[in-house]
Amino acid sequence: MSPLRVTAAVIVAAVVAGLMAFSSAVPVSWHQNDDAILRLSLRARPERIENCRAPTQAELEQVAEHMRQRLICDGTTASYQLSVSIDGNLVDSRVVRGGGLRSDRPLQLLNEYRVAPGMRRIEVTIQRRESPDSSHDQAMTVERDSDSGTFAGRAEREADERKRSRTAAIPALLSLDTLIAVDSGRVMLVTFDPDTRSLRLPAGSTP
Amino acid sequence: MPTRARARRAVAALDSVAARLYGWRWNPLHQPGTVAVASLLVLLASGLYLILFYRVGDPAGSVARLAADPWLGSWIRSLHRYASDLFILAALFHAFRLWSQDRSWGPRVLAWVSGSVLLGIGLVCAWTGFVMAWDTFGYRLALQGGHLFDALPIFSEPLSRIFAGDQPVPSAFYFVNLFLHIAMPLGMGILIWIHVSRVARPTFLPPRRVTWSIVVALVLTSIALPAGFEGAADPLVLPYSTAINIPSAWWLPITERLSPAGAWLFLVTTFGLLIAVPFLSRRRKSASVVDPRLCTGCNQCPQDCPWHAITMVERDDDRPSLVALVDPDLCVSCGICAGSCAPMGVGPPGRTGRDQLAALRDRALDDRPRGIVLVCCNEAPAAHRDALVALGASLHPVGCVGNLHSSVVELLLRGGADGVLIAGCPPRDCLGREGPKWLHERLYNDREAELQPRVDRRRVRTTTIAPGAFVESRAAYDQFRAELDALSSELGAASTDELPEVECEPVPLEEAR
Repeated sequence: MSPLRVTAAVIVAAVVAGLMAFSSAVPVSWHQNDDAILRLSLRARPERIENCRAPTQAELEQVAEHMRQRLICDGTTASYQLSVSIDGNLVDSRVVRGGGLRSDRPLQLLNEYRVAPGMRRIEVTIQRRESPDSSHDQAMTVERDSDSGTFAGRAEREADERKRSRTAAIPALLSLDTLIAVDSGRVMLVTFDPDTRSLRLPAGSTP
Repeated sequence: MPTRARARRAVAALDSVAARLYGWRWNPLHQPGTVAVASLLVLLASGLYLILFYRVGDPAGSVARLAADPWLGSWIRSLHRYASDLFILAALFHAFRLWSQDRSWGPRVLAWVSGSVLLGIGLVCAWTGFVMAWDTFGYRLALQGGHLFDALPIFSEPLSRIFAGDQPVPSAFYFVNLFLHIAMPLGMGILIWIHVSRVARPTFLPPRRVTWSIVVALVLTSIALPAGFEGAADPLVLPYSTAINIPSAWWLPITERLSPAGAWLFLVTTFGLLIAVPFLSRRRKSASVVDPRLCTGCNQCPQDCPWHAITMVERDDDRPSLVALVDPDLCVSCGICAGSCAPMGVGPPGRTGRDQLAALRDRALDDRPRGIVLVCCNEAPAAHRDALVALGASLHPVGCVGNLHSSVVELLLRGGADGVLIAGCPPRDCLGREGPKWLHERLYNDREAELQPRVDRRRVRTTTIAPGAFVESRAAYDQFRAELDALSSELGAASTDELPEVECEPVPLEEAR
């Protein structure tokens, strides 16, 4: 091969390699303007709305002793009205439900809203749509000493379990109303704090 | 001009440039599939090193440390990335080349479909690789992946939420991603085996010189232009742009502008169209046929067939030998078998040895061969062919030089030709896969159907005719012409029928090239 041909071959190989390296990292726009984003991200268990009643003695006798529940409950899983406002303008309003075919799985939200930089008033509310039956609380009252022997204390355990699931669920109303300084190119995250059972803006997400 | 013809011209033009620069022997564009495999080996080697330093608990930090290490970190990571880019680009060009050369139908469908799946897995593997780095580009890819998966009813909870920033991304995500990144290349090994399963003697790597040139070029590029690290992903910051790897993530800016369902539709349609190419451009050619009366059961055609399309089976007559049987579903009508059969009993319709001799005899009645007869593959560049004809050669075109029956060479010489110059395609660009190889073996190394010893080998020459390499073809022609002239002087006025018998010495294929 002549020196000229070798030089040309090397130059072409270098250009091709350079093009490949360039194509390996081409800047492509992603978030195109100066806006910030309000990101609502939460996972929480929706409330179960139950209608409970105490079974009759005849009903209890039809099942084995270890299967005798002190309260028989049926009901539905609550749905919620989500509202998001920025500076008083409603930007989102929708009904949200838990996951799964019966909507009894945890409620998952991941919504994003564009926000212009500056001081902004952010309002987020998640409100339960259904009202529990008025007879609900009365039906929940059962005789606590009706079990004995092996099954002693079962009524208390059932009551505790219902209480635990009520407290694990979202409260009937979740609300966040705050005034924050919004910087461009930032994400303000609104999430659910299971400890305080409230909506909050984590520290890292605010400017 | 049809799209495929235009594509073919474009490929020939690229071949021409590459052949001028590197010579047809080292043209890396001839078998881009082998370049993809070589890139895959570089990927595996560099990946095995990188995995030692990757930390699932600190993905961005560990990759940033690698990127900052100029001695054994940055360039090896860049090598890994550029080898991945080359794999994708070479695989795409491989597909484009085969499609443009009408080599995607019939038995090649399996190779096409498995190759498309290989390419798809390669893209997904690259996806997981970029996510592993967990820089802004990796985060962008992970988000898009989350959106896509969330549109499918396979996860009980939306995947995207783990990237929302309200909690650290779980280590399990990085671990699963790492597992996929490692497991997929293993699956690719199986797919490569399927990809070449229909071919009798697959070629996996480019010529050694090309392989090492590619490795050196990748290493030098990695040192000179190391791939950058975009900075650790922060889900609470909105970058205006990220540096995107176009070969692997060209689809990302498109799918980001679509809904998840639209993105799936786009991706599935694109992949479906790629898979459907052989079915959209179906062009079945007539498979080879066997004349059982002529078949002697020598078992040569099954050995020469590049596609495992011929088997030897029991005869249904009273002759003791086996008989060749062509499976039309595996035959691509390359015609290699026509040149392999001494009694001329097999070949595509109209292209068997007997058909070749008959056509030559018909033609010789009007146009007796004179001077140098240029037996030339139909796929050879027309301009080169015409230029050699303009120099005085008379043209005898064949579908592939591997189809040429050696008796045709003998008949041409006996018919009055001074010499026969057989110009085939570059061996790695032969549409019949192994035409030049088998031709050489039949002419010089006594492979069936061998050129008879009585034929003067000094009057037969093989050469390669390739786009961009006319100088070599012309030199071969001129040299052959000069040698024939010298031979004529030596032999005086002896007629071709009085040629002395010439001992045929085996010539190794590599030496002959």
